[in-house]
Amino acid sequence: MAGAKKGLVLLDFWVSPFGQRCRIALAEKGIPYEYSEQELLGAKSDLLLRSNPVHKKIPVLLHDGRPVCESLVILNYLEEAFPDASPKLLPADDAYARAQARFWAAYSDKVYEVGTRLWKLKGEPQAQARAEIVQVLRNLDGELGERSFFGGEAFGFVDVALVPFVPWLPSYERYGEFSVEGIAPRLAAWARRCAERDSVAKSFHPPEKVDEFINLLKKTYGIE
Amino acid sequence: MEKKSSENATPPVAAPLKLFGSWASSYTHRVQLALRLKGLEFEYVEEDLGNKSDELLRHNPVHKKVPVLVHGGRALPESVIILQYLDDAWPETRPLLPADAFDRALARFWCHFADDKLGPAVGAVFASTGEDQEAAVRQVHENLALLEVELRDGAFRGRRFFGGDEVGLLDVVLGCGSYWLAVFEDVTGVRLVDADAFPRFNAWLRDFEALDEVRETIPAVDRLLEYARGLRHMLLGLAGANAAAPSADAPTTAAAAPSAAAADIAVDI
Repeated sequence: MAGAKKGLVLLDFWVSPFGQRCRIALAEKGIPYEYSEQELLGAKSDLLLRSNPVHKKIPVLLHDGRPVCESLVILNYLEEAFPDASPKLLPADDAYARAQARFWAAYSDKVYEVGTRLWKLKGEPQAQARAEIVQVLRNLDGELGERSFFGGEAFGFVDVALVPFVPWLPSYERYGEFSVEGIAPRLAAWARRCAERDSVAKSFHPPEKVDEFINLLKKTYGIE
Repeated sequence: MEKKSSENATPPVAAPLKLFGSWASSYTHRVQLALRLKGLEFEYVEEDLGNKSDELLRHNPVHKKVPVLVHGGRALPESVIILQYLDDAWPETRPLLPADAFDRALARFWCHFADDKLGPAVGAVFASTGEDQEAAVRQVHENLALLEVELRDGAFRGRRFFGGDEVGLLDVVLGCGSYWLAVFEDVTGVRLVDADAFPRFNAWLRDFEALDEVRETIPAVDRLLEYARGLRHMLLGLAGANAAAPSADAPTTAAAAPSAAAADIAVDI
C-alpha cells in the first residue's frame, strides 16, 4: 500500500483484554510493534474508523498499513505471517490439537461475554449470568486438568486467549458472589502461574483499575 | 477429565469420518459441503434436536450442538473450526483457506461476521413482527451492504467467489445459510436480498447455488419453506404468549436479538 507506515502498529485500548491478547502474543514472540492507544469513550480516530469500518473496534493490527481485525484473527495471523518467530502458540503438526486450541480460545470469549452481563444486569438475568459464568469457569478448569498450561507444558494459544480476563475475575467474583478458588481451583493456580510471565505481567492492569473501569462504564450507560 | 497425550494425536487420514448433524441446520450443511468439496467419504447421523443422542452429548459436552465431526473417534465441534481442521488434516486436497496469511485473516474475519452479525440479524427478522422486524430488516440490509462493498471495491472485488475462482471457506460459511434469505422472504413477506440493492451478492449467491456439490447439500426449497413456516408459526405463537405475560424477559427462542443488544452496550473494547 503506497505511503503506508511500514511494520506493525497495534490500535488498542489500555484495559481491553482483547488488545492484551495481541500484546501478549507479540511479546511472547519478540515481534516489535508500535502501540497506539485509541480514544474509545470519546470520538474514535479516523485511522480506527478507516481500519475497521465494519465494527469500529480495537484491537486492529496494521501490518504495513493493512488492517487485521479481531483478537483471535490477529493471533492466527501472527502465527502465519511470522512463521520464523517463536514460540509457536499453536501446535505445528497436530491438526486435532490445533482444532482443540481454536475451540477453547473461542470459548474463552464467554468469560467476558457472560461476565459483562453479570455486572450490567440485575435480578433474574443476573442470577442466570452467575450460573453461566460458574459453569464456564468449571468447564475451563476441567479442560486444563492437571496440566501447567492449556498448551500443555508450554504457554500457548488458549493461554494467551484466556489470561487477559484474569484481572476481571475479582470483579466478577464480587458481582456474582463466588470465588474462582472455590469453583475452579486449578484455573486459579493457572492464573497465578501465568501472571509470573513477563509478557503477561507487563500487559496487565491491577484488578482495582479494572473495577474502576467497570464503574466508569456503568456510569456512562446509566447503570446503577 | 484427565488428558493422555495419545488422545490428542491427530487420527490417521484414513480413519473413518462420522458427522452428527441436522437436515435443516446450515452449520451442518457447511461441513457436508466441505467434505464433498474435499472428496471425503463420511457417515452421516441425523440428530433429533429435540431429543439429542447420548453419543452426540458425549462428543460435544460443552455446547451439546450439531454439527460434530468425529474423526477416528475424536470429536470436533463448531463448523468453522471443523472446516479449518479439514484443511489442516488434508492440506494437499482442495484447500478451503487461501495460502496468504492476510487473505486467511480476511476470510476468518468475515466468517465471524457471518456468524456474529449477519446470521443473528436474519434470525431476528424471522422471529419478530412489526417495528421490531423493520429494525431487524434494516440491520440485515446494513450487513449485506458491507459485503456488497467488499465485493465491489474491497477485499473481494472482481472475484466470482469469495475464495477466488473456486469456492473457499467464506463461500461455504456464507453460502450455507444464505438460502434462508429467500425462504424467509417468502414466509415473512419482507424484502431481504434485493437484486438491485445487492447485485454482486446476488450474483455470487446464484453462482454458489448452481454448483453441483452445493445442490447435493442444500435441502429442496419446498422442504425449507415448510420447515420455516412451521417455525415462524411457533415463534409468533410464543411471542404472543409472552407479550401477555408480565415478565420482561424476551421469548427464549428469539434469544439472538436480546443478547445481541445486551452485548452491544458495554464494550467497544
